[in-house]
Amino acid sequence: MNKRTITLILVAYLTILWAAVIFRIDYFPLTWVPMYSVYEPSETISVKVWDKDQYRKGLKVTHRDGSTSYVSYKDLNIPQPNFRRLYYSRIFGTAPPQHKQGNTELGALNRWVRGLEKDEPRFAVDWEWRMFWTLNKTLRHEPSDSKFIIRMEADHQNRVYRKEDLLRQDVRQVQIHTRQALIEWQDEWLPRWEHAIL
Amino acid sequence: MPFSNSISRAWNQFFFTGFSGESLGLLRMYIGCGLLFFHTYQFATVLSLNPVGSMYYFIEPIWYFHLLGIQYHIPALSFAVYALLMSATVTMMTGKWTRASILVVILCIFYLKGVRDSFSGDVHHRYIIPMQMLLLFLLSKCGEVHSLDAAHGTFPPVQEWEASWPIKTMQLYVALFYFWSVIAKVRVGGWEWFSGEGRIQEVLIARSVRWGMTGEGELVKNSLSFELAQHPNLIQIFSHFVLAFELGFPLVLFIKSPIFRLLFIGGVTTFHISTFILMDVNFLLIPFVYLIFFDLVPIHQWLKTHAWPLFRRRPSIAG
Repeated sequence: MNKRTITLILVAYLTILWAAVIFRIDYFPLTWVPMYSVYEPSETISVKVWDKDQYRKGLKVTHRDGSTSYVSYKDLNIPQPNFRRLYYSRIFGTAPPQHKQGNTELGALNRWVRGLEKDEPRFAVDWEWRMFWTLNKTLRHEPSDSKFIIRMEADHQNRVYRKEDLLRQDVRQVQIHTRQALIEWQDEWLPRWEHAIL
Repeated sequence: MPFSNSISRAWNQFFFTGFSGESLGLLRMYIGCGLLFFHTYQFATVLSLNPVGSMYYFIEPIWYFHLLGIQYHIPALSFAVYALLMSATVTMMTGKWTRASILVVILCIFYLKGVRDSFSGDVHHRYIIPMQMLLLFLLSKCGEVHSLDAAHGTFPPVQEWEASWPIKTMQLYVALFYFWSVIAKVRVGGWEWFSGEGRIQEVLIARSVRWGMTGEGELVKNSLSFELAQHPNLIQIFSHFVLAFELGFPLVLFIKSPIFRLLFIGGVTTFHISTFILMDVNFLLIPFVYLIFFDLVPIHQWLKTHAWPLFRRRPSIAG
C-alpha cells in the first residue's frame, strides 16, 4: 500500500468514527458512551443495597404445577455479576445503561434518521417476556411442561438520602424503601416462544 | 491552494513521521504482552463457569450476536476460544504468522466479549481501544520487524511513514476516546453532570452503600467514597479536573517532550486508579495501551542492558 491508499483508508476510518459519534451509533467497536453518563437531577439519591445471601439464593420461581423453587446463577451457569443485574434490574423492568443512554436526548436529527416519533424510545424491550424466555429456555422447560416457570419474584432494599442532609454531612437521615418485583407468565406470549428474542 | 497544501503538509507531518519499523515491531510485542493479562482479567468471569453446565439463553444478545443469530452460550466453547485467544496473542507477540494471529485475536475477543455482555445486556467498553489498536496492527507491517516471521523471511525495511501511521492513528483514537466521553456526558447528562452534587456524587454513594452496613452502622465497603460524597465542593474540583483532562487529551498529541508526556499519562493513570478505588469503574488495566505515546526503542534498549541481565544472572556456587 502506498501513502495515497493509506491516506484514503485513514480518511474513511475517521469519517466512520465521527459519523458514529454524530449519529450515536455507540456500538462496539466504534465509539462509546460512559456507563454513568445519564444524569437526572433530583432532590434525593436512591441506591440499591445488595444482599449477597439473598441473590446467591436466587430468584423465587413458581412452576406450572404450583411448586416453588429458587433459580440461582449456578443453575443458569452465568457469572454472579450478571445474575445480580437480572435480580436487581431486569426483573424490575430496568434496562441496561446503554438503552437509557440511547433513549435520552436523542435530538431531532437522530430521531429523523431512525424514523422515531417525538416520544418514541429508540430501545424498548419487554423485559418480563425476556426473563421468562431466558430462564425457561436455559432450564429446558417448554410451556406445556409441569416445571415451566410461570411466576418470578425478587425483592431488594433501596437506601434513599436527601442531598440536603448529605450537604450537612448528616448521613443518619436515611429512608429504607423495599422494592418487590413479581412477574407472571402471559399466555399471549406463546406465539413468540418459537421465534425466540432475535 | 496554499491552504490545502498546508493541510496536506500537516497531515503528512502528523501521520507519516515520528516512528521507525523497530518501534512498530516493539509496540506489537509489548502490547501483546499487556493483552495476555488484559484478556484474563476481562474474561475471568466467563472462565469461572462450569464448562459442562447449562447452556444459557442470552437475555439481550449483543448487536453482532443478534445479526448472526447466536442466542445461547456453549460454556465449553468459551474455554476453547479463550485458549485460542491466548495462543494467538502469544504468536502475535512473537511475530509468528503475525497477521493471521491478529485476526484470530480479534475474532476471539468479539466472541468472548459478546458472550460476557449478552448474559444480562450490559455492554462494557474496555475492549474498544485494544480492538482499534489490533485493527491498525492488522493493516500495518508490524510483523516484519522484531518477529519470528522476519527471522525466517526477507522483508524490505519498513519505512518511517509505514511505521508511523498505525501508531499515530492509535494515538489519535485514544485521544478521541476521552474527548468523546465529554461529548457523550454533556449530550445525555448536560453540564450538570459535572456539578459537585451531580452524577459523581450519586455514583460515590451508590458504590459505598450497595454492600450494606454492619451491625454497628458502619459501611461494609468503600467508606472513603461515602466520605468524599459528603464534600460536594471537593467533588466539583475533581470533576473540573476530569473535564479539563478529557477535553485536553488531544493536546498530548502535540507534546514533544517525553517527560511531559509521561507526566500527562501518569495523571491519566492516577485518574483510572482513583475511579477504580472510589467508584468501581473498572478501567484499571487500560493504561497499558498508553505505551503508544512513547518510542519503545530506547526503553527496550534500556531494559535489555539493565533489566534483563538481572533475570539472566546465574546463581553463584555459594548460593
